[in-house]
Amino acid sequence: MPLIEIHDLSVRYPRTAQKALEHVSFSVEQGETWLLLGPSGSGKSTLGLCLAGLIPHSVPAAMEGQILLDGRDAAEMSVGTRTAQIGMVFQDPEAQFCMLTVEDEVAFGLENLAIPYEEMGGRISEALAIVGLGERRHERVDRLSGGQKQRLALACALARRPAILFLDEPTANLDPASRREFFRLLGKLREEQPSLTILLIEHILDDLIDLIDRVLLLAPGGTVFGEGTPGDMLDSRGDELDRMGIWLPQVTALGHKLRAAGLPVARLPLMVEEAASALESLLVQHTLARPGTIPDTGQEARTPMAIRVDDLTFGYRGSAEVLHKISLDVPSGSLFAIVGPNGSGKTTLASHFADVLRPPVGRVFLLGDDIAGLTTGQVTERVGYVFQNPEHQFVEQQVDDELAYSLRVRHRSAAEIEATVGQLLRSFGLEAHRRRNPFALSQGQKRRLSVATMLAVGQRILVLDEPTFGQDRDTARALMERLCGLHREGVTVVVITHDMQLVADYMEQVAVLVDGRIRFAGSTQALFADQALLQEASLRALPLHDLAREMGVRFADGFLPMSIRDWFPFFGLETGSTPRSAACAREDAS
Amino acid sequence: MNGLLGFYEGGKSFLHGRNPTLKLVSLMVPMLAVTLAFDPWTPVLFFGLALLVLCVLGRVPLRHVARPLALVFMLSALGLLVSNAFFYDPQEGTSVTVLWEGGPLRLTLEGLRVGFALTMRTMAIVTLSLLFVATTDPTDFVLSLIQHAHFPFRLGYGILVAYRFLPMWRSELDLIRSAHRIRGVGERTSLRGRWEQLRRYAVPLLAGAIRKAERVSIAMDSKAFGALPKRTYYRRLDLTRADWAMLAVSALVTLFILLILANAGLLVGYGVVPGD
Repeated sequence: MPLIEIHDLSVRYPRTAQKALEHVSFSVEQGETWLLLGPSGSGKSTLGLCLAGLIPHSVPAAMEGQILLDGRDAAEMSVGTRTAQIGMVFQDPEAQFCMLTVEDEVAFGLENLAIPYEEMGGRISEALAIVGLGERRHERVDRLSGGQKQRLALACALARRPAILFLDEPTANLDPASRREFFRLLGKLREEQPSLTILLIEHILDDLIDLIDRVLLLAPGGTVFGEGTPGDMLDSRGDELDRMGIWLPQVTALGHKLRAAGLPVARLPLMVEEAASALESLLVQHTLARPGTIPDTGQEARTPMAIRVDDLTFGYRGSAEVLHKISLDVPSGSLFAIVGPNGSGKTTLASHFADVLRPPVGRVFLLGDDIAGLTTGQVTERVGYVFQNPEHQFVEQQVDDELAYSLRVRHRSAAEIEATVGQLLRSFGLEAHRRRNPFALSQGQKRRLSVATMLAVGQRILVLDEPTFGQDRDTARALMERLCGLHREGVTVVVITHDMQLVADYMEQVAVLVDGRIRFAGSTQALFADQALLQEASLRALPLHDLAREMGVRFADGFLPMSIRDWFPFFGLETGSTPRSAACAREDAS
Repeated sequence: MNGLLGFYEGGKSFLHGRNPTLKLVSLMVPMLAVTLAFDPWTPVLFFGLALLVLCVLGRVPLRHVARPLALVFMLSALGLLVSNAFFYDPQEGTSVTVLWEGGPLRLTLEGLRVGFALTMRTMAIVTLSLLFVATTDPTDFVLSLIQHAHFPFRLGYGILVAYRFLPMWRSELDLIRSAHRIRGVGERTSLRGRWEQLRRYAVPLLAGAIRKAERVSIAMDSKAFGALPKRTYYRRLDLTRADWAMLAVSALVTLFILLILANAGLLVGYGVVPGD
């Protein structure tokens, strides 16, 4: 008998026309690990809320259909029995805890189930040991890193000894190293507790696909689009997945593109090792001359530097130094990434570029002028700074007023304001929303608006802090394409990020910051060729780079292919006419 | 944010180990005694005693509380002592000892005494509160209220969550302020400007807070919060003999001090209005 049986489940939230789930049926055997895959709005999270009984008890929504847990109708179970069977882990590490310390938080879930006092201590130690937080039992929750918080959330679920784990995008807000760590933990858990049934929602599949037994594919509107093993689903539905904006694992995407180009790829690989053996026979060459790039000499001519940092040291009052003797040049018109592990000082450094923090005299120069000699108004006329959360920057109650704001405080003429606002609305696709409240926009629209407001007074430098953090890939990609457009118009774009995929796909130059020091500054290709450095900075090589190393594929100058397009010549295929040098032409790397 | 108002000092001491609810009750006894007294001696004695207890039984280093106490002293001295010393208005028929006179100002001994008493009363009450705040883990306090004072647990946990979010809102507010500053929003001084500014800060702050609150409440429900009629507690804040002893000693010592002062004829208040 299956552990979970779902029959004809439909859900509709109040005040919405479309259903969140429509006639969904499937069943899960005990011990299986399922991946729920689908674009935003396909009802994946809703499914979890239904399983746990949070719909309709905590979240108001109309539900039809039947859920059987272990053969019993879930609707007839008490909320207590039901939630005891399912452990949930949610996406936001900042908003799923209610107690101050690690130990109290794990205990909270046990207390609610009225687990006897004598039993709790042991269960807490056990659960914390599994997730590797045993040492931090008495630590305060807010002192944990994002990755540790998500592991704590997992421990909270495990301590209750549920039959089912439901993980709703547990790594969407984590940096790549923490994400990998989380999935390694999940793999270990699956081996040690083979009877545990796991349902998982994720968008980036590279680190987790080998954990998955079955995939449930949901389409927009909450209908089941398919169900099967990962190999079958990604292979047979690759085209549809691509169209729905779902990201295949990189090596799978490579296989998919090669097959589309006419190569006989028998079965799409899911993992790097698989790909290496599957594609080896198709390889024509291991080493190639790198196709012509624009020589770097042009950059010297483009002085002055957009941003120049000279020996900057900084520490917040009363705490240790965050930045040590930083010197850095950001060339005008470049696409520049600042990467590094959490807490390495990336945001602190960038804060000095836009007067969020004021540097001392002679340390930071904007287009040749010492920033210490400029007023806030003069700085913000040159540099637009986009905060991680766009909402923080909104000051008006309507989209068009928001765009006009910086112009109005500068007393520009009404005609000029009208023209600029109209032009920004058009180029950022916000015309239809000009009368709406900025806070009512979708996440992607908010982000676009926050970028647009930062260009209103004609800023030539744009600094963005983690612009793709916690966003789905489609929104992220749309934003990056817009930044590429700005780049082509000559705007200098500086992005703080730990999304290495984004760096590989779009960025020309990278600075790596570790413990407040610059460890590397140079071309993106050079960074990815230096494995030792990547490891030191706890960044990670991308699966396609791992594959290149595995197969011994590289350019004659030692650099690795950066995108799927780069791989084509190694298989004897034409790359097309796009010149390699245009960084923004690399955007097909998915 | 270290704790309630940032004054909680972690550590182990006799006072740290006491049950928060009984600790609160034990402190209310001397607080009441101080509030009812109008002479300068009672608050001075209780202030000294509270400070001693804080250092010895609470093991809170004096230098940690010296600054806030000095600040309170200066503020209340400035307000209460100075105003009473110069503007003491005796009831008709009572004579006053004038120490110094200049223009409309008149420094009187009686005024000085009343001002001093009021200042010391503030100091004693602040120090007694500090005794509680500095040695009580806020989580324990709420849990103890739930376990021993029949405080509703849903409300109690709501308070704990809100408390957990305080530091986050603070850093969020800092972020919003710098985000608005670089958009060219100056800090306003006019009344209208301040109101406008409050709205500008409040909207993103509230939007974020509501979203987080919703998520936390779903996460708590997913852990069966309030699903069963009874819950157990991992942190059990049992009432021990030491706790009851603390209450008894507190009451006895308070009574003892009051009796001594009364015997010496120094106690004023307790139904006797000063100056009568």
